[in-house]
Amino acid sequence: MEKLRTFILNLYPTTKFFITLFLMITPLLLPGYLYSYLVPVLCLFIAMIAGKTKLFVDIVFKGLLSIVIMIFLLQAFFYPGDTILWTWKIFSIKQEGIDFSVQLTSKILAVGSAIVLFFQITKINDLARSLEILGVSPKATYVLSSALNIIPEMRMHLLRIMDAQKTRGVETEGNLRIRLKAFFPALTPLILSSFSSTDEKAITLESRAFTARTKKTSLHQLEKTKSDSVVRVLLLILFVFILIWRFFL
Amino acid sequence: MSGIEIRNLSYQYPTGSEKVLHNINLNIESGKFYAFVGVNGGGKTTLCNVIRGFIPHFFKGDISGEVLIDGKDVRDWDTSDLAQKMGFVFQNPFTQISGVKETVFDEIAFGLENLGVEVSVIKQKVQEIISLLGIGYIQDKNPNELSGGQKQRVALASIIVMEPDILIFDEPTSQLDPQGTEEIFKAIDIMKKKGKTIILVEHKIELIAEYADYVIVLQDGQIMRQGRTEDVLSHEDTQDYGIGLTQYTLLDLQMRKHNMITERIPITESDSIKVMKEWMSLQGVKA
Amino acid sequence: MKGIKKDFTLFAILLIPIGVAINVVAGELVELLKVPLFLNQIGTMIVAMVAGPWVGAITGGVSKLIFGIFNPTQLAFMPVAMASGIVVGLLAKKGMTTKIWKVAITGFIVALVAILIATPTTVIVFGGASGTGSDALTAIVLASGKEIWTAVITQKIFIESIDKILSIFVAYMIVRKMSDQYLAKQNYGHFYINKKKAS
Repeated sequence: MEKLRTFILNLYPTTKFFITLFLMITPLLLPGYLYSYLVPVLCLFIAMIAGKTKLFVDIVFKGLLSIVIMIFLLQAFFYPGDTILWTWKIFSIKQEGIDFSVQLTSKILAVGSAIVLFFQITKINDLARSLEILGVSPKATYVLSSALNIIPEMRMHLLRIMDAQKTRGVETEGNLRIRLKAFFPALTPLILSSFSSTDEKAITLESRAFTARTKKTSLHQLEKTKSDSVVRVLLLILFVFILIWRFFL
Repeated sequence: MSGIEIRNLSYQYPTGSEKVLHNINLNIESGKFYAFVGVNGGGKTTLCNVIRGFIPHFFKGDISGEVLIDGKDVRDWDTSDLAQKMGFVFQNPFTQISGVKETVFDEIAFGLENLGVEVSVIKQKVQEIISLLGIGYIQDKNPNELSGGQKQRVALASIIVMEPDILIFDEPTSQLDPQGTEEIFKAIDIMKKKGKTIILVEHKIELIAEYADYVIVLQDGQIMRQGRTEDVLSHEDTQDYGIGLTQYTLLDLQMRKHNMITERIPITESDSIKVMKEWMSLQGVKA
Repeated sequence: MKGIKKDFTLFAILLIPIGVAINVVAGELVELLKVPLFLNQIGTMIVAMVAGPWVGAITGGVSKLIFGIFNPTQLAFMPVAMASGIVVGLLAKKGMTTKIWKVAITGFIVALVAILIATPTTVIVFGGASGTGSDALTAIVLASGKEIWTAVITQKIFIESIDKILSIFVAYMIVRKMSDQYLAKQNYGHFYINKKKAS
């Protein structure tokens, strides 16, 4: 198990991306919904091996479940159709709506959970580094890494501001107007102070030769291993096989 | 020609109505240690920014005159060459982290990575700087989670690891206690002994007296006085520009007012002891 | 193309992660305060106002990418966020974000573009659902016998216009509070510099 875990986590970021892409595209290629509903299960399985079960399940539930339920509700009742399964007053559930929902949500769950899996098994810094190796500008990867670094800091800063406001008597609970009123005084100082730091940040980066045109090196070593080749070849064979089966047989 | 030459330099911020630098003329000799002193708002930080080329590269405004680095106008330098030529550390340690590195070690390596230095060389250089500054105990910490003083040391390390010929330090000890400040000055002194040119903005006059070769006094955007440290800091009227003299100098100046004339006016502790001993023996007092 | 590249100065690039973080944190705050809006593109709008449409578009795009880590359905709305950045930026360059009444017009246009892009995404990709409480509105319109496109567009008109117009006003108020010295360093900051002080 431990061996499998490191096997998955140590795959090269682009290999992980190919796995994700495979899991996203194949449900759209294959007819029916059975395979599509299998994809989230497969993702869960991989997440379990990688030791990310809880995060994976949390995000899938929070991010995808509510939309899946809403699709079922909206489509089951309002999709045009005549095969009525159940009726209450003027509302009725139709078979066509259920069919449509099953099809649509199967694809959403498959694509969605593949994306969730990708971000759970891939470190953003590894991803950024692999993009740089592929030739993406370090400025672009800087934006991504830096944003992810700033968020937790800013969150703490916001909590401090809100605590300070609570002690000064700013209400954060009550009716919508009161809650909206709490929003702006908390946010304005946070935004202004965050933006004001950018000129010194520019000096810092320029002093560290960030804009130098020389080819950069990195202490962050990323290497493709034999596992990557194996996984890539396997994915390619499977994909070609699916294409042939789908379009030529 | 090596060193920095500033000729008839004037500058005004784009949104300001007055000049912040007036007709500055200054020669900075290679391998020497210059301290910029004066009251806040006198133009010290602005002058540092002009020398490093951040003005007018980043900060627009009206600039006239010239700043020559090794005989070439700073505006004509390539940005990467300039980053390697001149290191720059400023006051606020909180904005002086790259924001993309997870450990102090990686943070210090960032500049060398950008210069394309080989990985094995980077590791060795970073290790050397970490031991030089005695920050090994935080090398695996996240730079975001350090105290102000620790961040300041990391900011300094991140620049000196790039081994620029000229080092500009704009109040690099603002977040440090006296002991931490002393350590930073010792590190700066090591850089000077390696032949680096040092430009330092600092208020702690005792340390300037101890380490700097030259002192430049700025007020209202003009150079009011410049010269060797022992000359500038031993003049009573240097105080007119809001500069405090060291207690050793003040003692001697007081003595002079009471007709106790020493051989010279000391500015440091060690020199003061020497001067006082000489004076006492001349007066026939047994030490 | 050259014009786009010119906008991406080091200063402008450094605004992007901050704009993104503001979007994320403001979005979280809205959830925390249980306000039934998104208000998660304020950072994008501020960046678009001071640094131009393309830098704004990237801010919107990266924000959705990061939202997508925790809620993959958000990735489908990346074009909406990018378009908001572009529209605000283009109008700002025309001086359309310097006075309250101009900001109001800009807000309407941004909302219109957002509705035009978000509606087909919601209908085609998500069968009309958004997974939020505002789906109740869609259901009510559907129940009245209208078809799905009408229902979704009605819901978007309500939600997007309130959300985008409120967001741009917040963005405007914040840009107005930035110092002249700071604004002078931005690509398009000169629109907001206090003329009285300058002369």
